[in-house]
Amino acid sequence: MRGGTVGRYVLLLLVLAITVGPFLWQLSTSLKGVTEDIYSTPPQLFPQHPTPGNYARVADAVPIWSFALNSLLVAVTNVVANCLGAAMAGYALARLRFRGRTAALTVFLTSLLVPFEAIMVALFLVMRSLHLNNTLAAVVLPGSIAALNVLLMRNAFLALPSAVEEAAIIDGANVWQRFTRIALPSARGTIVVVAVFSFMFSWDDFLWPLIVLSDPAKYTLTIGLSYLQGTFVNDQRLVAAGTMIAVAPLVLLFVAAQKYFFRGVGEGAVKG
Amino acid sequence: MQQAAGRVKVAAEVVREPADVRRPAVRIVQQRWFTPWLFLLPGLAVVLGFNLFPFLNTVVLAFTNAKVLGGGHFTGADNFVRMVHDPAFWTAVGNSALYIVGVVPPLVILPLLLALLVERKLPGITFFRTAFFTPVIASIVVVGLIWTWLLDSRGLVNDVLRALGVLTTPIPFLTDEWLLLVSAMLVTVWKGLGYYMIIYLAALGTVSKDLHEAAQVDGAGWWRRLWSVTLPALRPTMVLVAVLSAVSAFRVFSEVYLLAGPAGGPGGADTSLVMLIQQVGTGLSGDLGYSSALSVVLFVLTLGLLLLTNRLNRKEDL
Amino acid sequence: MPTNPLSRRGFLLAAAATTALGVTGCGLGGGTEDNADTGPVTGDVTGEIKFQTWALKPKYTDYINGMITAFQQQHNGVKITWIDQPADGYLQKVTADAAAGNLPDVINVPPDLSYPLARKKLLLNIETAAPDAKKDYVDGGWAAYALPGQPGSYGFPWYLNTGPTFYNKALFRQVGLDAEHPPTSYAELEAAALVMAQRSNKQIAMLGLTPVIADFGLYGVKVMNDDGSKFTFNEAKGVEFVEMYKRLFDAGALIPEALSATYTGAGTKFMNQQIAWAPGSAYDLQNFKTNAPSLYANVGITKTITSTGKANLYVQGLSVPSASKNKPTALAFARFVTNAQNQMAFAKLTAIFPSTKGSMQDPYFAQDGGTDEGRVRVAAAKQLDTAVNYTPVQWSEQMTTLLQQKMSDAMQGKATPKQALDDTVAQCNKLLAG
Repeated sequence: MRGGTVGRYVLLLLVLAITVGPFLWQLSTSLKGVTEDIYSTPPQLFPQHPTPGNYARVADAVPIWSFALNSLLVAVTNVVANCLGAAMAGYALARLRFRGRTAALTVFLTSLLVPFEAIMVALFLVMRSLHLNNTLAAVVLPGSIAALNVLLMRNAFLALPSAVEEAAIIDGANVWQRFTRIALPSARGTIVVVAVFSFMFSWDDFLWPLIVLSDPAKYTLTIGLSYLQGTFVNDQRLVAAGTMIAVAPLVLLFVAAQKYFFRGVGEGAVKG
Repeated sequence: MQQAAGRVKVAAEVVREPADVRRPAVRIVQQRWFTPWLFLLPGLAVVLGFNLFPFLNTVVLAFTNAKVLGGGHFTGADNFVRMVHDPAFWTAVGNSALYIVGVVPPLVILPLLLALLVERKLPGITFFRTAFFTPVIASIVVVGLIWTWLLDSRGLVNDVLRALGVLTTPIPFLTDEWLLLVSAMLVTVWKGLGYYMIIYLAALGTVSKDLHEAAQVDGAGWWRRLWSVTLPALRPTMVLVAVLSAVSAFRVFSEVYLLAGPAGGPGGADTSLVMLIQQVGTGLSGDLGYSSALSVVLFVLTLGLLLLTNRLNRKEDL
Repeated sequence: MPTNPLSRRGFLLAAAATTALGVTGCGLGGGTEDNADTGPVTGDVTGEIKFQTWALKPKYTDYINGMITAFQQQHNGVKITWIDQPADGYLQKVTADAAAGNLPDVINVPPDLSYPLARKKLLLNIETAAPDAKKDYVDGGWAAYALPGQPGSYGFPWYLNTGPTFYNKALFRQVGLDAEHPPTSYAELEAAALVMAQRSNKQIAMLGLTPVIADFGLYGVKVMNDDGSKFTFNEAKGVEFVEMYKRLFDAGALIPEALSATYTGAGTKFMNQQIAWAPGSAYDLQNFKTNAPSLYANVGITKTITSTGKANLYVQGLSVPSASKNKPTALAFARFVTNAQNQMAFAKLTAIFPSTKGSMQDPYFAQDGGTDEGRVRVAAAKQLDTAVNYTPVQWSEQMTTLLQQKMSDAMQGKATPKQALDDTVAQCNKLLAG
């Protein structure tokens, strides 16, 4: 038991060393003063003259808050749409019996296989014909219920024991009631995963919002931050600071969400 | 029609269902025929309207010699004939296939081990969990910069090996066509660890506690319970992770692009299928017809891959 | 069991049929609108237009807004919406807009982007639309938008650039080379590079990139035939040039990473002081100062080596799409932005050069003011007179990739320089014809 715990920490530290590199690098670059090299061999991991000034300069350079607001709007809508839409579809595919179920599942599976680059221009034309181009709705719609999330939710609902639902059926619960009262709460972990993934994808998306939006006032954060790389000069410290600002909400979200991925604290059936 | 129906059925079983839910109990109650479709409506509408519908356009273009800026007419199967005779196409297909072989097994196994490692509540565990997730959210450009620095002929890895006296000439991670592919795989696995870890974690949460407790009462140790309770329960998730990682491995772009450059390594030897699509179709004079044909082939090959996985999976069941 | 399976199936079928019929094959047709040559554009300068630039925000926001305000004050009823696109993804953005017939009224495109657009008749021929404009601009800049196979010219030249070459004095000294007298010819460069590789035991490489198409031009290779219908850089001189690179590669004077490196990648290698020689633009100096201060302390500036006596010219310009709904205003504004006064003001803000006739006579380009930036500016200004754009406008992304792949084959000995070049030329000609 003791040895097991020590072993665990050794392993944890080992994996830690392998995974946090890029994060530290960005952090370090974003803190470097103007006299320090960004490119050097070997790279300077620790800034010699750390300064938070770069962060202030990012906000001076681009209207980061209004870009962030657009991103937040898009990301939150995306999360809500994905959690609800994917859960509903996943539930039907996993727990309901009907003709055409396999066909429906196939539609979701095949859409996983479509390369986005191949449909980008056609999708842009679809948005134009719907008169949605240059709106945030056009940014959200294509990914608003991602096939990947439908599959994840289906997988989660499949794993639920059928006994509880059978009891509910006997009690006369209809499909919607069983979905909202039994299935959804039990698949909480996966819903949180779907939420995190949706937020992340939407927050990081660059090319599609750029294509579909033409009014810079509607630009999202990733596009806004790429303004930090100008035609003539770009300062890698600013770029790094901007990236850190963009990453921070993702880290916070993960920290807040992570406890839902796990079984209840302390009642672990897996003991060392 | 018959054939299509069969294909539909097989594809649908790719994500396998545990035996006890094959016949959901729901069947015994009255349920209006359209109820499931109401549940599916939003999802289907989005996927059909904004994904498969635009893709049909690509399918049409695959049979034309259209350029990015329009023009072009139907040319039948010309693009596909050209593909067969295009050595770059075969290199790309080979590389993408190799990529699957290289990254899927580690991506199925390592994140699971990682999930088991961080599952327990230990002091500071939140920090570790978050840290393990950071490669997923780190910008791919920064990831590329770091790995190039690590693997460069004058990079950290080679420097350390040289300092230790292990080697005298540096390992050409970034200049040898094979090692480049291996290096890219390494980055893919590294970046995918945290991602699949959380899928596993969510699944671990649904493993029946009763079974665990029963096994414990029977005196089964940690390993034994892992082997006979946890792993069987996680099997559908493992298949899901295998499918997802295979599909994305076959469509690898960023990692190869960043390490091997836009031309795809020395002489283009490391070009992946999506990179080829991009090379052919980018720019205002891009060859839209040919790149569409390549996209269609990518699509069909991935579909074939799913069917194959499913076939193998089923054999194992017998 | 469902009560009415037929109706349900009918619904699905109908949905599928609608979907299939709706596919129009976008990308087919289009671009046939042949109104590029309808003579001078006349009309009132009034109404709204959109003006698109590339990665000028936020540094030049005040400058652009200043021009817009001035123009709006001169012309009543004009409203200009400025859209600045970030550096990344510009090509995709222009592509999607062009495919959708959605291009802004005044758009910043370099010559190589204007060529495919003009070929599809998507750009206005400025020579007929604004016949009196040509006299205002330097010949080299104007010629950059006169596209092979197309009558007239398709863009107002905006800002120009030409690069000096930068070298790393510290690395030169480290191997005992004269840091104050860098090579000035290809032969000297090769000799110095070989010395550097040998004395440093292959640890310091002179070059970081296999030759790109402009390098062939600088070396004096005839890249295309006279009517621009065929590539010809596989001629003897081209082979000689690649053979030189092969010798450098074998000796370790061209870093191995060059086999797959990009221009940016090679730039990074120069900034982290792994390579000693890098052709650049006048504004790179500012980049070094910002991102690599210790390189900046050691950076040497010299003339770009060329056998033709003419340096490489980079051109940016403004075009007006033929589908613009307000051509008079678009043309007037594009000319306004590129007029001598506004370009001069821009040149004083950053290291670019105006494309308007006579502007280069401004003393600003002859006096270095004792700063490094000033020295680069004066040096670059001197070579600007004769500089040519060595990258043919027909040169596409695909060709760049192809050339690099074949060059790396040649470096590795998988093909002889001659074979590699013959192959590249054959395939590029096929792309050109396609």
